[in-house]
Amino acid sequence: MSAANWARLSVLLVLALVFQVTVLDQVVVFGAHPDVMVLLPAAAGLVGGPQRGAVVGFVTGLVADLVVNLPYGLSALCFTLLGFAVGLLLAIPAGREFTSAQIGACMVAAAVGTAGYALLAELVHQRGVLSHSTVSAVLVVSVGALVLGYPAILAMRWVLGGSTNPTFIPSGGSATA
Amino acid sequence: MAATRQTSQRITLLMLVLASITVITLDYRGEASHAINHVRNAIADALSPFQSAVAAALHPLGDVVSAAFHYGQLQSENQQLREMVGEQSRQIAADKYAKATIAEVFNLNNLPFAPNVPKVPAEVISASTSNFAKDVEIDRGTASGVGVGMPVVAASGLVGTVVAASDSTATIQLLTAAPASSISVEDPGSGIYLAGGQGGSECSPLCIATTTPNPAPRHGDLLVTSGENAGAYPPAIPIGTVTAVNPVPGGLSSSVAIEPKVDLANLQYVDVLQWLRPA
Repeated sequence: MSAANWARLSVLLVLALVFQVTVLDQVVVFGAHPDVMVLLPAAAGLVGGPQRGAVVGFVTGLVADLVVNLPYGLSALCFTLLGFAVGLLLAIPAGREFTSAQIGACMVAAAVGTAGYALLAELVHQRGVLSHSTVSAVLVVSVGALVLGYPAILAMRWVLGGSTNPTFIPSGGSATA
Repeated sequence: MAATRQTSQRITLLMLVLASITVITLDYRGEASHAINHVRNAIADALSPFQSAVAAALHPLGDVVSAAFHYGQLQSENQQLREMVGEQSRQIAADKYAKATIAEVFNLNNLPFAPNVPKVPAEVISASTSNFAKDVEIDRGTASGVGVGMPVVAASGLVGTVVAASDSTATIQLLTAAPASSISVEDPGSGIYLAGGQGGSECSPLCIATTTPNPAPRHGDLLVTSGENAGAYPPAIPIGTVTAVNPVPGGLSSSVAIEPKVDLANLQYVDVLQWLRPA
């Protein structure tokens, strides 16, 4: 990633964090709210592949943890794995556009990321994070990804513009020119 | 080439995971938590104005969205809250009723009049079943020592007379329905004896015809039972306050309108005075 990519990522993260804290946190449904931060590593994995997905996930997690009163670094770990896994399994072959598939991938990734975060929190002895409310959170975040997924992908294309690897080979796919 | 890329990816992943775990460990063990908390607080301070502004702007929208998803739950909560409010209102009313009852019973036990007359406390169990008969029923009868002709009082004054009694209940004719000449009253202020009552028909709620010409009672005077002339009541029981004095044209008497001291429409506890008109 170039310096321009890092600058754009910084801008995006600040905007996403402000949007999350000021807007999305107000939209509470079944005790949970949509989460745009978990979508960014998923979008980065989709757009840029596993390596960039992991890097963006790590940085996004560090930023997201600034407004969460849980162990610092937990989101970074979760988002790193999420970005990498999405990039490895669901990355968009360069030059192809399947909007509905991308949004579906975002929804799945958001669900997995949310559930994974709860699981990791439980592993580091954060009692009460993994509970029946986790189901609500997974559902709400997934449905939120239906709306926020495509904007997140577009934003990540802007962030990673010029650095995406056009010859990226997704798992099980074929090389594209 | 692909193998090199995959190795690079895995190394990157490994390093980032290790970095994350290191950060978690540092925070968990406390070395970095102080600095992290500083940053968190600074971020919170920086974001709070935006949060407040956006929250104020989006709150109605958020309510609409939330209500759309929670309509059934909101209805249920609304119903529960209504029931709670109703229950608490009932409780408050019951408390007020209990306090009023206690005060009424206490006052009945400490009547300032008829001190030497034995009393039978009773509760009014029903009002008149007729819209026209001015009587009430109490839960004490002859078995408790209640007899026909006994005066009945409340804490603030005269109520009426027992006109019928069974073993367990008795019927009280209210003061405002008392027959003519049964109420002999006195104005303690001027010592006037006003003999001969006229209940009900002439003026509402109670009207008494005076037979002594002068001086007439004045507006606001408290009238009490006189106990004179073999009256139906013992002396000095408050009857009511004079609200009007109307001289009878061409006569020496006056028609005195009285507002009874006792709220006869809302009787609950009374005392039956075991006192009978002298033969």
